[in-house]
Amino acid sequence: MEKYEKLEKVGEGTYGKVYKAKDKASGQLVALKKTRLEMDEEGVPPTALREVSLLQMLSQSLYVVRLLCVEHVDTNKNGGSKANLYLVFEYLDTDLKKFIDSHRKGPNPRPLSPSLIQSFLFQLCKGVAHCHSHGVLHRDLKPQNLLLDKEKGILKIADLGLGRAFTVPLKSYTHEIVTLWYRAPEVLLGSTHYSTAVDMWSVGCIFAEMVRRQALFPGDSEFQQLLHIFRLLGTPTEKQWPGVTSLKDWHVYPMWEPQNLARAVPTLSADGVDLLSQMLKYNPAERISAKAAMDHPYFDSLDKSQF
Amino acid sequence: MEYFDLEDPFTSLKEHQSDSISALFSSESDHMPSLNYVQCLKNNDFYVSFRQEAISLILQAQYSCNLDPFTPYLAVNYMDRFISRQEIPQGNPWVLRLLVIACISLAAKMKEIHFSSTNFQREEGFIFDAQAIQRMEFLILDALNWRMRSVTPFSFICFFISLFQLKDPPLTQALKDRATDIIFQAHNEINLIEFKPSIIAASALLLASHELFPLQFPSFETSILSCEYVNKEELLKCFNAMQEMVINEVSESIVDIGSSSNSRRTPLSVLECHCTKSESESTISTMAAASTAILPEKRETKRRKVNGFCSESNRVHISHIQQCG
Repeated sequence: MEKYEKLEKVGEGTYGKVYKAKDKASGQLVALKKTRLEMDEEGVPPTALREVSLLQMLSQSLYVVRLLCVEHVDTNKNGGSKANLYLVFEYLDTDLKKFIDSHRKGPNPRPLSPSLIQSFLFQLCKGVAHCHSHGVLHRDLKPQNLLLDKEKGILKIADLGLGRAFTVPLKSYTHEIVTLWYRAPEVLLGSTHYSTAVDMWSVGCIFAEMVRRQALFPGDSEFQQLLHIFRLLGTPTEKQWPGVTSLKDWHVYPMWEPQNLARAVPTLSADGVDLLSQMLKYNPAERISAKAAMDHPYFDSLDKSQF
Repeated sequence: MEYFDLEDPFTSLKEHQSDSISALFSSESDHMPSLNYVQCLKNNDFYVSFRQEAISLILQAQYSCNLDPFTPYLAVNYMDRFISRQEIPQGNPWVLRLLVIACISLAAKMKEIHFSSTNFQREEGFIFDAQAIQRMEFLILDALNWRMRSVTPFSFICFFISLFQLKDPPLTQALKDRATDIIFQAHNEINLIEFKPSIIAASALLLASHELFPLQFPSFETSILSCEYVNKEELLKCFNAMQEMVINEVSESIVDIGSSSNSRRTPLSVLECHCTKSESESTISTMAAASTAILPEKRETKRRKVNGFCSESNRVHISHIQQCG
């Protein structure tokens, strides 16, 4: 790890510390993500091996943060063996959360331009489609996890891939509450068999948030989170979503009627509202896929050849 | 879902299959040994015998530990890629054993298969401590940059078969089984290391179809040649080398009975043969003509290697591989 000079701790990722660092030789800025490997008699843990190799494969896409290399540091003390794995990612200095915040508060509050929202959403769908085509669910998509290259107008998905070996925790290492705002209703209701549709729900929430400059469903507990959703989209019924009332955490909820979605995103075009409504379908089987979303009329005015 | 299947390295979901096909073709070169290594194998006896010895040790592990044939295949892929990035010190026989153990261990972990290196080592009469194996695992991971989900010829089999539009499942299975056999066999053939996994897969399927369903061969050939991802010239070269491998194997079993001149005979390629007959497929026949112009000289050098390599009483192991397919 002497190759890198740690500059500052930039965050606690869901699975460990993240540092901003500089490659001493090239001067390139990188993000170092440190993960501890629990070593035993059997050597490199199989889960780490499979997850990291998956990440390596996914980072081939322009819309996924690039994994530049993997470095390991092992220290052998008293016969016991510990190893730290550093995943070396390209460094981007801002993320969608900071970007939206800067448009809401600060010296010059203003909406995000419709064409920028369109471009970011398309890139997000493209990145998600890439992950899904490799059989990988992100499961924790949120604005903080979408890094931006402001100059080039590129959006990249981060914090990917390590989801399955470690399962998405409710609290991160630092006991910071993991946000529920982007979590799909089937996950909140305790479904164990969830699919690529969980990511599309998150994409829908992020889409709405770019338009509104504030979260669509800002719940602070799983129960509150569901109520936020139900109040806007109506309480789901068996007819709409077969099997919903048999999900593990289903309770009897007040029967809310669905509201007009367009009113939640008043500045969004009719095509945009239609796409959003397809991303926020209750029945995961009916929710639009990332690939289909890319062909939605909302993107007709976008020059797709640039992506 | 994270289970690593060589036939489907991207664990792709049905609706996304077409995307993963193009991703497979675009990333296959990342999972091959370097051209440098191929040159080394052709010119340097140390590497030839190192590889052969390593493969036979890997196969021994397959039998004594009862591994499925894909795990050793993956281990050999890791080993080839490792050697092509990392110089191997000569004169240390333990290097080979440690490398083999670590490659099998990594392959088994990727495939979620249990492999007890201790038992295997005990049988083979050597033992490395866990630390040494772990260090070797890390060396391999670093050299391969953790790209352990290898794209192999098996990853392309289903895609190519789908081009044939076969309607008969037993027929499809027979074709797949024979192609799989050929791919396993091809992994030991130094002359085939330079070809991309997709080219190996396409050639193996064509060769299998020629053996099993010669009548349908022309239509299979047309569908593979019209596939946008396939470089026709490479395919032809690979097909010829592969056919030579299969014919050598047959003729060398005849050698045991007597006539040694048999194995020296240059086999006429099925592709070339077919191409000269078919007037309509002019591109192929031009290609075949071009390749015959280039090939003879190359063939001679290849043949020398093949023969040198087979005379070292390694036959046993090679025939083992066929059985395990």
